[in-house]
Amino acid sequence: MGKILVQKFGGTSVDRDAHRRMAARKVIAAREAGFEPVVVVSAIGRAGAPYATDTLVQELKKIDPTTPPPPREMDMMMACGEIISTAVMAVTLQSMGCPAIALSGGQAGIITDGVYGNARILSIHPHSILKALERGQTPVVCGFQGVTTITEESEHGSITTLGRGGSDTTASALGAALNACAVEIYTDVDGVKTADPDMVPDARTLKECTYAEIAEMAHLGAKIVHPRAAEIAMDYGIPLWVKSTFSDHPGTRIVGDAEVSEETRKRITGISHTGKLAFIRLEIENEAHKPIVQQEVYRLMARAGISIFLVSFSPTALSFAVSRDVYPIARDLLDGMVVPVATNPKSRPLSHFYIFKFSEGLDLAYRNQRPLLHSLEDFIEVVDVPGTAFEYGTLVSVVAGNHRQVPGVMLAIYETLTGAGIPIYQVADSEMSVSCLVPENEADRAVRLLHERFGLSGS
Amino acid sequence: MYAGAMNQKTAINHVLFERERGVYAVEVTPDVAHIAVHVRAEQGRTEDILRVFRTLASASIPIFLIKLHRAAVSFALNAQQLPEAERCLQAAQFAYSVRPDLAVVSVIASSMRDLTGVMVTIADALQEAKTLMYGVGDAHNSVQCLIDGERVEAAVSSLKQTFALEEAAHG
Repeated sequence: MGKILVQKFGGTSVDRDAHRRMAARKVIAAREAGFEPVVVVSAIGRAGAPYATDTLVQELKKIDPTTPPPPREMDMMMACGEIISTAVMAVTLQSMGCPAIALSGGQAGIITDGVYGNARILSIHPHSILKALERGQTPVVCGFQGVTTITEESEHGSITTLGRGGSDTTASALGAALNACAVEIYTDVDGVKTADPDMVPDARTLKECTYAEIAEMAHLGAKIVHPRAAEIAMDYGIPLWVKSTFSDHPGTRIVGDAEVSEETRKRITGISHTGKLAFIRLEIENEAHKPIVQQEVYRLMARAGISIFLVSFSPTALSFAVSRDVYPIARDLLDGMVVPVATNPKSRPLSHFYIFKFSEGLDLAYRNQRPLLHSLEDFIEVVDVPGTAFEYGTLVSVVAGNHRQVPGVMLAIYETLTGAGIPIYQVADSEMSVSCLVPENEADRAVRLLHERFGLSGS
Repeated sequence: MYAGAMNQKTAINHVLFERERGVYAVEVTPDVAHIAVHVRAEQGRTEDILRVFRTLASASIPIFLIKLHRAAVSFALNAQQLPEAERCLQAAQFAYSVRPDLAVVSVIASSMRDLTGVMVTIADALQEAKTLMYGVGDAHNSVQCLIDGERVEAAVSSLKQTFALEEAAHG
């Protein structure tokens, strides 16, 4: 058996006959070069296209707009997009003289857990794929889907979908299961760019990247390889390539840290942006009580299923960001919330009530609750916790593998953005990146300025 | 191209592919210090913060866990660089406060920002271990907590128990 090469084609690579034929030529070229391609395809086209995943989902949603469809049936419906695409691609390959066979996720042996809509791959039993290769056929496998195996919790053979980036995940996981020599992710751009080319037209295509860089960029908003796919490739040491279906550009090679040059390890990789965020700040004046009060805030958000991030606390304030779509829920939960605090639980059960108050007009619950506490004020101190929010933020991030060892990265970012009059509300940094919360309407300018500041433009 | 693939196995692999959902590791970075530098609260705040960053950059001191506050900017740094950082900040006439002998305990998860309740679980676990959190940072794959160096063992043990992690943390 020859060298197995997994080739994944995204929605825009299979959305029309001409594009599918260009994709098919990449597959045929790989066969002619001595590889045994295993093809993974996404659904045909993006939102609005007749067989795109979003279109199919709408068919179920419009049956009863007041009730969300059950996740099991939703997954069954969503999986149809890839099934259609796979059959079409297999027949396209056949019509061009390339023997091919279409396989659903289940037929390809992809076994997942039973979490509909966001399943994880547990194992792959690629008998059908290997048999097809032995017969000289190119397997064309549905991305984004798998099936459950029988457990106490799940029925056997239920169709599941893998959630965001599912087709990339399928490609990487198949690469690992088949011990492929590489996984190629085909898209409509030449490779991994230093920034979103729609924002920065002269963004450069990177020749090589590390898995960690790619995972970081993807998590921070770059629309390249999905981080789950990058993590699998990293864990199994499979080289990933990001290439264009529509050009012969060599693309971007994604490998482990040890395989890239010292220069790559030290560089600023790129600028990305993500998220529609609201930033909440709460003033908790009593430093001693603050840990108790802030813990109750975390608990409240957790109970409501709201993720918080960009968490920061000073001696007298707590601030954090939430996704903007849940901000009204977060604000309404906090407004009027009362946290009882006992200074000395043994001698005096309660000493303070902290009550949260947002600014005028957003404090309906506070205005109802606060008078109820008046009668207690002879015995217990009632303290207002003023809350403010900035509703229109987004994260702009500089991805840089070793910024924690390099002095001046934060200075360069801060100088560039504030120098251009772009306020920075908060900062978050990881091993691989520095992110700034800035006004959403400044995101484009912030990305362009940072891209220029770090000298990322050019060929 | 793809030179490393010549000896590939064609045997069928049965593999657990994806990383665990939720928290899967706790890591420790020892020997960290934390500095909060006071800046003007309103007019001049941006210039002050810029001056802080410039002072540290010109002394070649890398910083992390950077947080902007109303009247301060705080950050962590390698403890070995604390004397030099203090010397520079004093020379630039900044008022600041220092917490030496700290460590960063990082709770690692796949897609941290899709998870809810991690922060309160961490806070509860650290409270259980009688460990104060002096600062916190978060990224897509981690929450980093700044704690007393001498509380690391108790904190890690409590976090591992809370998140049902079996393997020892590593730094």
